[in-house]
Amino acid sequence: MKTLKFGIVLFFVTSFLHAQGCSDAGICSIGKAFQEETKTFKNSFEINSILGQGDGNVSIFTQTLSYTRKFTEQFSLGSRVTYNLANGNFGTRGQFGDAYLIGNYQFKEKNNKQWSVLLGWKFPFTTANAKINNVSLPMDYQASLGTFDLFLGTNLNYKAWDFNLAVQIPVFNNNKNSYFDELSVSDDFPTTNLFERKSDALFRTIYTLKTTNNKFLFKPNVLFIYHLGEDTFENQFSNRETIKGSDGLTINGNLIGIYNINSKNSIELSVATPFVVRDVRPDGLTRSFVLGLNYRFLF
Amino acid sequence: MKKLFFILSILVLFSCEEEGILTKNVGQVPVNEELAVLKYSGTFETTSGISGEGKTKIFLEGNQYKLILEDYSIENGPDLKVYLSKTNSPDDFVNLGNLNPAAVYLIPTSVNMTEYPFVLIHCQQYNHLFAIAQLVQN
Repeated sequence: MKTLKFGIVLFFVTSFLHAQGCSDAGICSIGKAFQEETKTFKNSFEINSILGQGDGNVSIFTQTLSYTRKFTEQFSLGSRVTYNLANGNFGTRGQFGDAYLIGNYQFKEKNNKQWSVLLGWKFPFTTANAKINNVSLPMDYQASLGTFDLFLGTNLNYKAWDFNLAVQIPVFNNNKNSYFDELSVSDDFPTTNLFERKSDALFRTIYTLKTTNNKFLFKPNVLFIYHLGEDTFENQFSNRETIKGSDGLTINGNLIGIYNINSKNSIELSVATPFVVRDVRPDGLTRSFVLGLNYRFLF
Repeated sequence: MKKLFFILSILVLFSCEEEGILTKNVGQVPVNEELAVLKYSGTFETTSGISGEGKTKIFLEGNQYKLILEDYSIENGPDLKVYLSKTNSPDDFVNLGNLNPAAVYLIPTSVNMTEYPFVLIHCQQYNHLFAIAQLVQN
């Protein structure tokens, strides 16, 4: 019960923080699925609060709940549900975003090297067509991209280093967004009517520093995300149009600090910011700074 | 498990929708009755399973065509749009925006009105046609 109270207090406290976030279609946090947290406990429950500031004066608050079950020494299955609250000149819109299911298989360690592979799926709870007062909202206000995505990834752990490589592929598009720049009083967002998004590829390098008593861990990391094609939308004249400059590279810097309260409970603070961004980000993943607070309970 | 449902319930309480400066009292560009000339009009016929009735009128004001809906009572649906269409099905059309019976829709100036003899009410999200009005020149 103590743990539950602590989690709820953390939720409320973080609800009133103001910070920002990186460009993440889901792939950003995929590296966590690779991490082997413990050999003692089989279950992990997490509450994560992330705050961000996007383009067009949009503040985004994301709340996630995660549960991971370790079935064997090698295999674990993780699930996550996200809730997004966006606030800006269009108003405030809060909705559940996506559910994730991610399987992770770790091969046996050999010569200080350990490989793992990951297979995951993202299910959207929305069609990315939320409105306020019958006014269609840009993607920045949508809780989900509206795509059913496949994740494929691999990780190499070598001593204190981790190297993640992953792809996020939209397999089925259910994006029904109906925002038109031409019909809007705002000029801050591009048209994303019936938006179709391309895949992402990710490469991340993480270095882990531990204090001698293992109470504190620091994980500076660099995250390269390449958007593998130009996104498209249906214009006002019912023709599909390519969004020039929506493909390309995003480079994020991320620093994670973890405090292990005891063997079961830990708190994690994550700060990230993009150094390189795509010319156009119609998907609304425009956060210029991320501040995340995570509470983990193992049992 | 109870704990999980409790926390999820808290999250649901945070679900919200609140107007902002761009969605509150959304401004309309009215039809200027002294300057506007009625160019086209039509009466909606609903598709199978859809009830209600309504009319549409298109005015020319300067070089700007404006579309309005009149006596509109066709049943509501999710994500309804107003299309100016080349045919009586939503294949080649101009999307004028979300359905709002009180709205004045501005037709893009590049549109050649003679090529678009239909106004459609169409649910974009589920691709379901609600009503068709064939335009008659006045």
